[in-house]
Amino acid sequence: MAAPVVRGVRKLLKLVDFTPVPRRHRYKKKWATTEPEFPASRLALQNFDMTYSVQFGDLWPSIRVSLLSEQKYSALVNNFDAWDNVSAKLEHLGAKDFVKEAISPQELEPESDLSPPPSLNYSPNLRCFTFPRGDISRFPPARLGSLGLMDYYLMDAASLLPVLALGLQPGDTVLDLCAAPGGKTLALLQTGCCRNLAANDLSTSRTGRLQKVLHSYVPQDIREGNQVRVTSWDGRRWGELEGDTYDRVLVDVPCTTDRHSLHEEENNIFQRSRKKERQMLPMLQVQLLAAGLLATKPGGHVVYSTCSLSHLQNEYVVQGAIELLANQYSVKVQVEDLSHFRKLFMDTFSFFPSCQVGELVIPNLMANFGPMYFCKMHRLP
Amino acid sequence: MAALGRQVCDWHRLTALSWACLSRRTPHLRERRRMSPSLFCKLTTVCSGESLQESSCVRPKKYVLDPEYSTQLVPCLHGEQRTRVEPKSSELEKVISSLQDMGFDEAHVNSLLSMQPTVHPQQLLDIISEFLLLGLHPEPVFMAMKKSPQLLKLSTVQMKKRSSYLRKLGLGEGKLKSLLHGCPEVFTMRQRDIESVVKVLKEKCLFTVQQITELLHRCPAVFQEDPSKLEYKFQYAYFRMGIKQRDIVRSDFLQYSVTKIKQRHMYLERLGRYQTPDKKGQTQIPNPLLKDILRVSEDEFLARTACSSAEEFEVFKKLLEREEEESESHVSEEEEEDEEEEEL
Repeated sequence: MAAPVVRGVRKLLKLVDFTPVPRRHRYKKKWATTEPEFPASRLALQNFDMTYSVQFGDLWPSIRVSLLSEQKYSALVNNFDAWDNVSAKLEHLGAKDFVKEAISPQELEPESDLSPPPSLNYSPNLRCFTFPRGDISRFPPARLGSLGLMDYYLMDAASLLPVLALGLQPGDTVLDLCAAPGGKTLALLQTGCCRNLAANDLSTSRTGRLQKVLHSYVPQDIREGNQVRVTSWDGRRWGELEGDTYDRVLVDVPCTTDRHSLHEEENNIFQRSRKKERQMLPMLQVQLLAAGLLATKPGGHVVYSTCSLSHLQNEYVVQGAIELLANQYSVKVQVEDLSHFRKLFMDTFSFFPSCQVGELVIPNLMANFGPMYFCKMHRLP
Repeated sequence: MAALGRQVCDWHRLTALSWACLSRRTPHLRERRRMSPSLFCKLTTVCSGESLQESSCVRPKKYVLDPEYSTQLVPCLHGEQRTRVEPKSSELEKVISSLQDMGFDEAHVNSLLSMQPTVHPQQLLDIISEFLLLGLHPEPVFMAMKKSPQLLKLSTVQMKKRSSYLRKLGLGEGKLKSLLHGCPEVFTMRQRDIESVVKVLKEKCLFTVQQITELLHRCPAVFQEDPSKLEYKFQYAYFRMGIKQRDIVRSDFLQYSVTKIKQRHMYLERLGRYQTPDKKGQTQIPNPLLKDILRVSEDEFLARTACSSAEEFEVFKKLLEREEEESESHVSEEEEEDEEEEEL
């Protein structure tokens, strides 16, 4: 009885063996438990280890440990709320307004005959509090102020530098090409200089976040008048849509978001499925920057910024875009020297000392901000 | 094995007591005894009526193992015990003199007697002689007593039981000295606690018997660790740092606190200077040696191993402490993060 059954089973096995798949394509699939599980954040770390250890040399270990440790926040005071009360409260916590500290001694300088070049002005009215170097205290979460608006916005202090460097002046028309999630846009509004602010971001879910931030920080009359306009268009086409329109343009492009990629698994740019997208990033960045430059009035200023450490996404993009504009549109663009700016903020941030163009804030445990690259450009008339 | 151990113990005791008894009967020799052990040796041989030149007083283990010799001493001991029933003051005197005979100087004797006034001097003498019988020298015994005076409260039975248990663990003779120096509490601890530590080492951490002996000899403080924490420390070494049992023993890993280990290891790991080996034991970068991570001072660790600055490490330690706290109370952290609005 047993023998025919065994024979039958053998036959069946033979049948299975002669499946139409050619032998060379047959393979033994691994069990899920033995397949190497490689989270995207680890892929990101490997990638950084390979590229940045070459790029930064001896500085890399210190950057690495900072990226992997908790970042430091700063509190951007909401000027639309009762800002003096809030400032006093933050000072009471032991935090200091790093913008004021950096710029106030500089204001004394014109008297001593060392007036800075006129192009190097800073966006005014920004109050941003941080704890001193090496202090790891945190700010309590923002609260609703007396006017129904939140009292401060917690953000990476380095994110404020591009806005400061943009040098807004009263009555400017400003474009924020990739605005979400809204920290820099909010900072632009806080200066009180925007006659008109166009905030754009390609993804509608991200502009939704931006709207939410604006809703809780900016009074209704400013939001609903034609002072702020939120759009969801493709930023790369801005040159065609609104060429030569804006006085100041902030191009805060999508990048590998180095710190974020090491901590967040969800929607990580280092996932294998997003490899192509990641490789195309520098191209996209060049296109966005070129569009931003074309949307600027001749004589206007553009700040390009990323939160990546990679040269490929920073300096090379700036150089590539300038070249592109010179060749294809015969638009002349000049990079502005920010070393003066760097000196002002040396106490709060650590800067990478040898950038060809622009400035790069590198994370350091003593001041765990950044990474943040920013480069200011001047479109020549 | 255990029985033999106990027997050896008993012989030890006999010799010391006879030693004390002998020297009392010959007071003029008492002063000399300390400087010339060989002289004493001769005296004892006279007592036994045999020539035992090869057995020396300096190595009590050897002559104790000679059964013939020890049996000869028995009558001597009985004589001693009979004479002990005397008024208190003279009893104290006797204890003092016996202590001196054992090799304690006057200052030591006085402080020994004043350590635990409630303990009867005779019990004190018994316990100390018990320690000496284990092959320890007066100096380390005195230091241990000073470090933990509750040792004097022990009864000889407890003491014998514990020492035979330790012998079973392989912690006999020479090793006892470092044990007594590193962790005198091992004699006063509850048997159950010691057993649970040994059980964790054996069953959870899978150390071999020899490894356990060496481990306990090298870092006696392990006895006093909380077994669950000990297991956690081991798991951190094994799984997180990729260190095998053999190297845990060799590097005295378990003697360092978990906080220190974590601080230094995680700092190196985040700097990119330490990698957990894969299952073949390979890493992409050469890891620093364990002794360069843990045994060195913090300055040296930062200068040589981590190549980093002290102020950065200070900040890191604070951050790590907070991280650990928050990973324990996961729920509250998540709430906080929801409220904070983030911007990169």
